[in-house]
Amino acid sequence: MNATEVLTQQLIIGLSNGMIIALIALGYTMVYGLVELINFAHGDLFMLGGFCALTILGGLGLAPLPSASEIGSLSWWASFVLLFTLVPCFCGALNWLIDRLAYRPLRNAPRLVPLVSALGVSFILLNVGLFWGGLPMQAFDMGVSAASPKDFPQLVSNTNLLGESSFIVFSPKDLLVISATLSLLLVLVLVVTRTQFGRAMRAVAQNPVAARLVGIDVDRIISLTFVLGGALAGVASIIYALYNNTVFFQMGYRVGIDAFTAAVLGGIGNLVGSVIGGILIGLIRAMSDQYISTEWTNTIVFMLLIGVLVFRPAGLLGRATKEKV
Amino acid sequence: MKRAQIDMQLAALLGILAVVPIVDSVLPTALQVTPLMPPVLIFALVGLGLSVATGFTGLLHLGVAAFVAIGAYTFAIVTCSIYPFQIPWLCAVLLAGLVGMATGALLALPTMRLRGDYLAIVTLGFGEIVQDVLRNLDAITKGTQGINPLGGPTIVSFQAPLSTATRWYYLVLFILALVAFLMQRLLQSPTGRSWLALRDDELAASCMGVNPARTKLATFAVSAGLCAVAGALLASFLGSSGEPSNYDFQVSIMALSMVIVGGLGSIPGAILGAIIMVGINSIVLAKLADWLSNVSTGSSNVLLSPSNWKYMIFGLALVLMMRFKSEGLMPPRQSGGK
Amino acid sequence: MTVTSNAAPLLALRNVTVQFGGLTAAHDVTLDVTDGQIAAVIGPNGAGKTTVFNCVTGIYAPSSGTIEVRGRDIREPLTWLVLGKSLGIGCIFGLALMLGVNAQILWDASINQLYVYEQQFDWAAAGAAFVSTLRSQDSSLTWGIFIFGSLLAAAGSFTMWQRTRHTPYTAVHRKIARTFQNIRLFRSMSALENVLMGMQSVHRSHVVPALLRTKHFAQQERIRREEARELLDFVGLSDVEHTLASALPYGSQRRLEIARALASKPNLILLDEPAAGMNPSEMAALTALIAKIRDRGTTVLLIEHHMKLVMGISDHITVLEYGEKIAEGPPDAVKQDPKVIAAYLGDTHNDH
Repeated sequence: MNATEVLTQQLIIGLSNGMIIALIALGYTMVYGLVELINFAHGDLFMLGGFCALTILGGLGLAPLPSASEIGSLSWWASFVLLFTLVPCFCGALNWLIDRLAYRPLRNAPRLVPLVSALGVSFILLNVGLFWGGLPMQAFDMGVSAASPKDFPQLVSNTNLLGESSFIVFSPKDLLVISATLSLLLVLVLVVTRTQFGRAMRAVAQNPVAARLVGIDVDRIISLTFVLGGALAGVASIIYALYNNTVFFQMGYRVGIDAFTAAVLGGIGNLVGSVIGGILIGLIRAMSDQYISTEWTNTIVFMLLIGVLVFRPAGLLGRATKEKV
Repeated sequence: MKRAQIDMQLAALLGILAVVPIVDSVLPTALQVTPLMPPVLIFALVGLGLSVATGFTGLLHLGVAAFVAIGAYTFAIVTCSIYPFQIPWLCAVLLAGLVGMATGALLALPTMRLRGDYLAIVTLGFGEIVQDVLRNLDAITKGTQGINPLGGPTIVSFQAPLSTATRWYYLVLFILALVAFLMQRLLQSPTGRSWLALRDDELAASCMGVNPARTKLATFAVSAGLCAVAGALLASFLGSSGEPSNYDFQVSIMALSMVIVGGLGSIPGAILGAIIMVGINSIVLAKLADWLSNVSTGSSNVLLSPSNWKYMIFGLALVLMMRFKSEGLMPPRQSGGK
Repeated sequence: MTVTSNAAPLLALRNVTVQFGGLTAAHDVTLDVTDGQIAAVIGPNGAGKTTVFNCVTGIYAPSSGTIEVRGRDIREPLTWLVLGKSLGIGCIFGLALMLGVNAQILWDASINQLYVYEQQFDWAAAGAAFVSTLRSQDSSLTWGIFIFGSLLAAAGSFTMWQRTRHTPYTAVHRKIARTFQNIRLFRSMSALENVLMGMQSVHRSHVVPALLRTKHFAQQERIRREEARELLDFVGLSDVEHTLASALPYGSQRRLEIARALASKPNLILLDEPAAGMNPSEMAALTALIAKIRDRGTTVLLIEHHMKLVMGISDHITVLEYGEKIAEGPPDAVKQDPKVIAAYLGDTHNDH
């Protein structure tokens, strides 16, 4: 494997991981844009999506390593359709519920109050994940204890699309991640720019008071945004699980921190910024893993974040907001 | 006056804590808590440290565990017999505090002019990074083994009538009372007032001549220093620096829920919060687990293990407090008030 | 405050323009405030009056134009000290980065390999091992890391300094104080403590004496409280010093803001709509208070909607409309100006 091939391989890995991070970062950013709340629970929502997907597959009876004959079978197709409809619905509904119970009553409270509430929700979800992973279900046969990672069925094959002889691996998994994310982003762009809801959402983000005055139901828009962000986290969790073949209760926290950093790096509240931030983080992680050391990757990402914030305090694409006096 | 009344709250709380070992001595062994209490009081010190940043100045600090770890490891390196430094106990604790302050200031330097929410992320990230760094620098920190053995101060190793645990208890209680007393004084000085003003209204405070960046840096450093002192005490009490993952996000959140349950910005509140939250975590849950393992026949249902519920307890404490009593159990002084 | 006639004006805005994205909030505003005056800025809603105030107090930075205080740029000057500090921070960071990258090797060589359990430790040998190990590292990489770290941190700290050249904090130190259109008192503090906060820029206080409660500290604190009481007295709030700021009636809150601003002993006080929401008797008292402030030696710059108040006490009036200055001069001249009349008739129609 020569240097160019190594670099190309790392670019593919970085891009795939970055896309997943971007999907989650979008959830943070959309909510922040509307209610200026860092929804700490978003990462854990993503984690619960993973467990939901695992449970559905367990219900369908797909073994952790389906045989070649099962791939392409009816239940294989059914599982895909079910996953991509049920999990986003589950996460969207759960996010709506969280907003309703834990955030909406605090809308007019000081900034710190909903933020702390979000942290609390994050911990509650984390514990739910721990229990979910520990319940005696067929689907969790592979897990040893509640806290240990659970194997996720290998629904998408690992074979190299570039042929067995190629040193660079580009598998259907990479294709799935990149194509699914890109099409989802396209849909999101259309929703935000072309639909009534998208226009209302942007109006609320710019000026909630004025939006209310022109007859927009601000609470409904915020609720819908939570649903949309939750659904994105749901899709992200399926893609993540299919890509990494594992689900564990702390993954929301691990991946959440990356997504969070991506949102801040790109300028929180800015949709395009989050996507760029996510891809950037994915690429930097891959490069650091390859060329420096896996152990120091987190530290490098962190120092990079601080570096960017020193020169651009509102993130790469974020615009400095001035307090109204 | 209200202020005197709050001072009474603090005095009463410390007074009750002072008689705990005496009451304890007449209770049956199963109900005695003194040996378990020093870590609780050490966490109360972490709570006071966090109060400075989050309670008084209003900066959401999600990485206090990192500074506890820095204090613990600094203390371990400079006192442990595996390294040549071996400085006296008191010097080591103070040095740990200074190193903590310096690190806090270093983290604050590039980030203090950021928006409040960004600071939360930076501190959260820092909490993770410190664990990573401690793990990676295993030539210095001995990785997951931790640095041990560590000694206690001469006071605790005296041949005295009281048990070691009791002597530790009073030592930590004394430090806690001293810090609380000094903080109380600081809050009534121009320095403390500028912290509170920054929390109330940053823009107005800076129009009054408070330099927001410098003030935040100072509070951040003080907070980090107190947490590091607590870390040094913890390492000394446990006899080991422990492993890096002992200082994970959960510890930071526990500290946060302590000051929130007790009342953000309230000194007696932080102590009370620590007793409630850490008490539940390391005393009630532990005793409950002991009791359950005695009565049950050893089925391994996740729901039956009390320690599996702690995230839920911290989480619910935060959400419910924010929803129904966001000022906490012992709200801070509202000055004036005739 | 006495000033000779040829001295530069207390405050001068020169061609100040402020833009937010595509919106121009103030365009090419030039404005002089002379010592000992009561100057006023008037104009319809959204004319850019508060924007001008915010520029002066460092909340916004003008997109172009300069602001001068007694002929000197209001921004902190760029001095060698600033450059030196940036460079110093850079070097420290570079050094820390260089040592940090090699931390394991250095520690191993100087401590782990030389220390024998419970034996005397040779510190000189450790130092020598430290230096020789550092030397033995790939020098171009080591120096590269040092230089990279230094430059980055120096650039970073310089960028951060540049962002804080003109902030509310530096404005107070230029002896400019202000009040706010939407009252911004410290809600959890008493009236007296709010005024004490105003003294932050004039009384430096140290932590150690505060912790030890030294005699000197107690005396200083007594003096501060005495001064604060005098100011409360001055604005007519002597009976409410222990009341929480948020519990005061609206008119009193406005006067408390003025007392708090005066506590910084400013040369110039900016009052942003001080009469908003006041009843006629409160307004009369306020008019008297503003005159008293001027007589005390503090120059006043005022934004106000109540024409009667403005015309009654101002020495000089500047009229803004859509971010541009359309007229200025003494009250009588401004009142006659056709442009002003047009602007205000329009405004009156919109308002009522």
